[in-house]
Amino acid sequence: MKTVLKMGASAALCLGALAHPAFAEDNIVKIGVVAAESGSFVSAGHTLPAGVGLAVKQINDAGGIKVGGKTYRLEMVKRDDRTDIATAIAATQELVRDVKVQAIFGSETHDFTLAMAKITQPAKIIHFAGNSTLAKILTPDSVKPGGEDHYLFQSEPQEFQRSGSTARGVLTLLEPLLGYKPKKSVMIVGNDATGQFLSSYYYKALKAEGQDVPDIIFYPPDTTDFSPFLTRAKSLNPDIIHFWYNGDSTLTALPQALELGAAKSYFLFGVDPGIWKEKQLSADVPVAMSCVPVCWGESSNPKAKAYFDAYFAAGAPHGVTSSVSLLYHDYVHFLAEAWEKAGSFDPDKTVEALLTLHHQGVVSDDLTFNPTHQVTHATEVCAAAPGGAISCSMQQPPAEAPKS
Amino acid sequence: MKEGLRQDRAGSVFKALRSLLPVLVILALIAAVPLFSPSNRFLSLAISAGINVIALYGLSVLFGQTGILSMGHAALVGVGAYAAAILARDFGVGFWAALPAAALASAVFAMIVGIPSLRVGGHHFVIMTFAFGQLLAIVLTNGGDYTGAATGLDLAGPVTLFGADMSDLTRYYLMVVAFVTSAAVASWAIINSSYGRTLRAIRENEKLAASLGINVGRHKIGAFVVSGIFAGISGVLLAYFLGHISPSQFSSFPSIYLALMVMIGGARLIEGPLAGGILVAFLPEVLNLDPVQSRIVYGVCLIAVIMLLPDGLIGGIVRALRAAFSGKPKQETQQRGAAEAQR
Repeated sequence: MKTVLKMGASAALCLGALAHPAFAEDNIVKIGVVAAESGSFVSAGHTLPAGVGLAVKQINDAGGIKVGGKTYRLEMVKRDDRTDIATAIAATQELVRDVKVQAIFGSETHDFTLAMAKITQPAKIIHFAGNSTLAKILTPDSVKPGGEDHYLFQSEPQEFQRSGSTARGVLTLLEPLLGYKPKKSVMIVGNDATGQFLSSYYYKALKAEGQDVPDIIFYPPDTTDFSPFLTRAKSLNPDIIHFWYNGDSTLTALPQALELGAAKSYFLFGVDPGIWKEKQLSADVPVAMSCVPVCWGESSNPKAKAYFDAYFAAGAPHGVTSSVSLLYHDYVHFLAEAWEKAGSFDPDKTVEALLTLHHQGVVSDDLTFNPTHQVTHATEVCAAAPGGAISCSMQQPPAEAPKS
Repeated sequence: MKEGLRQDRAGSVFKALRSLLPVLVILALIAAVPLFSPSNRFLSLAISAGINVIALYGLSVLFGQTGILSMGHAALVGVGAYAAAILARDFGVGFWAALPAAALASAVFAMIVGIPSLRVGGHHFVIMTFAFGQLLAIVLTNGGDYTGAATGLDLAGPVTLFGADMSDLTRYYLMVVAFVTSAAVASWAIINSSYGRTLRAIRENEKLAASLGINVGRHKIGAFVVSGIFAGISGVLLAYFLGHISPSQFSSFPSIYLALMVMIGGARLIEGPLAGGILVAFLPEVLNLDPVQSRIVYGVCLIAVIMLLPDGLIGGIVRALRAAFSGKPKQETQQRGAAEAQR
């Protein structure tokens, strides 16, 4: 009898010990992150968990979120996709079905995001992804209640907006440095999904600004010798060569372009002035740079400095695309506010709240989603003068896409 | 006399069946995995590995039996995947109807590639297949709306079997295991057929095979076409599993990985593709390796296999087990292992 009692007591203690963390877990809301923390896309990949992680810490340090009269803490569950689609899919399956996250952020790779959405959307998981290429699938039909992408949100502005504000900023900043109004532009673009998509919009944006764009020169991904492409560009005698994606390749191409004297000025998409200064780069011609969305090395946005100080203090590396982290940071805060407003983690109510909220973020004081789940905000463009002085300005997006 | 011949044939059939048995047992165990409630991450990775294994069985016919190494095999998988996606988009063709159509498309593509490529041999063929693989990726990337360009194509159709929705992860896993089993049995049937013997004759000595009246060129193209059928089926399963395909999934790097898998596992043994596919899929997961570390490990494995285990990892394990359990002299065991690998 004693043995039975002892066994019963032991079992009760064990169950009690198990029950305690279960209670604690009730107050934890899990946010999944799928990002390339290794592999070829690592420079963009590391920004995602770093930005989300910082926002999660800030929210928890401030006491968590209050939903339906109860306080919850957020927990980030991150998975490295190793820049491999099979791993990204497996990670998403794990986060959605095993970990049971309430929301997912990622990935930065277009193909992966689309395949991930096939898992997150039927499971009604709120999914934020940065790829502006999502515009292809975020249509009024697909995002309506019951639509196949109702819970998917694009955390970067529509491409005509980003391209429009960037083109205007580049031309505005380079004109005084060149001493004349630039007229002819040549684009050099990485020939992958993102490059093809982005360049089609940027081409239209340049044309809308009155530029003569005789050619878009595509280079294969992972190109290291840009001389054939630069020679072709030089033969067109451009005022500006626009390296429109991606930042890592651009930094390889620029020294070759400067040596070749391919153009009178250059624009480097997605290269932060912070990298320009850290790498002690210099040019004898004006060089414009843009950040997605706000630059960490030099910014005209007063809130950005505090954000990036906290971001780098948390151990994130200084990268070409570190500024992208800001988007994920803002959207975690945005999502937390939406949950509080909805008073529930119900995905449909959360979507409703996300679509009606005006969130005060770092990137913008008025972050909102449009009816097709896309945001609108400014893009920062900077220019380095031949002497080294860097000036920046936030460029507001155009209201409408240019007529093609 | 006839009775003796019949007994001989029955004996060789029994012997051949015995070589298939271990694979069937392993696959039966693999099919039982869902009973142990594995994580969805595991199931997802296992499905990806299984889809690769189907393509590897085709590659083992080409490389293991015929001695031709293709470095563009992922392109054949891509043809199958794109065929399925385009058929679904333009003609509403579902999964089951897409299977034979995509297999045919990949087989035809393999024949188109094979005819000029197989006029050259050895290293030149490897380079030609590599070039064709790259060429396909370029064509798909620049194919406009038809191929979805670099963005690729979506495939949203459900997979049903006798009314049951196979999109559920466990069901899809079991379906892939069934396809892997079919691929293994088909590969085994080829190995143990007179066609398989013809291919091996070509692999061992092309000139001698030609002098015996074997049409070497036709059979080499035939082997490439057969490997294309396996790749096409693998492509359909991949497209329906991911729901989205793009050119980068079928470029040169995935082809190199497929070749690596079949070489590490062992191309000549029926267990080889299964072992290679599972090993390469799960090694980074088990050892928590990042892609750079994985490539170093695969490189070292490949060098080790080429130098120490010419018949692949499975061949080496079989040999080691035999040596350990039979206690036979090492040389005799090695000879027997080598004879088996000759098949």
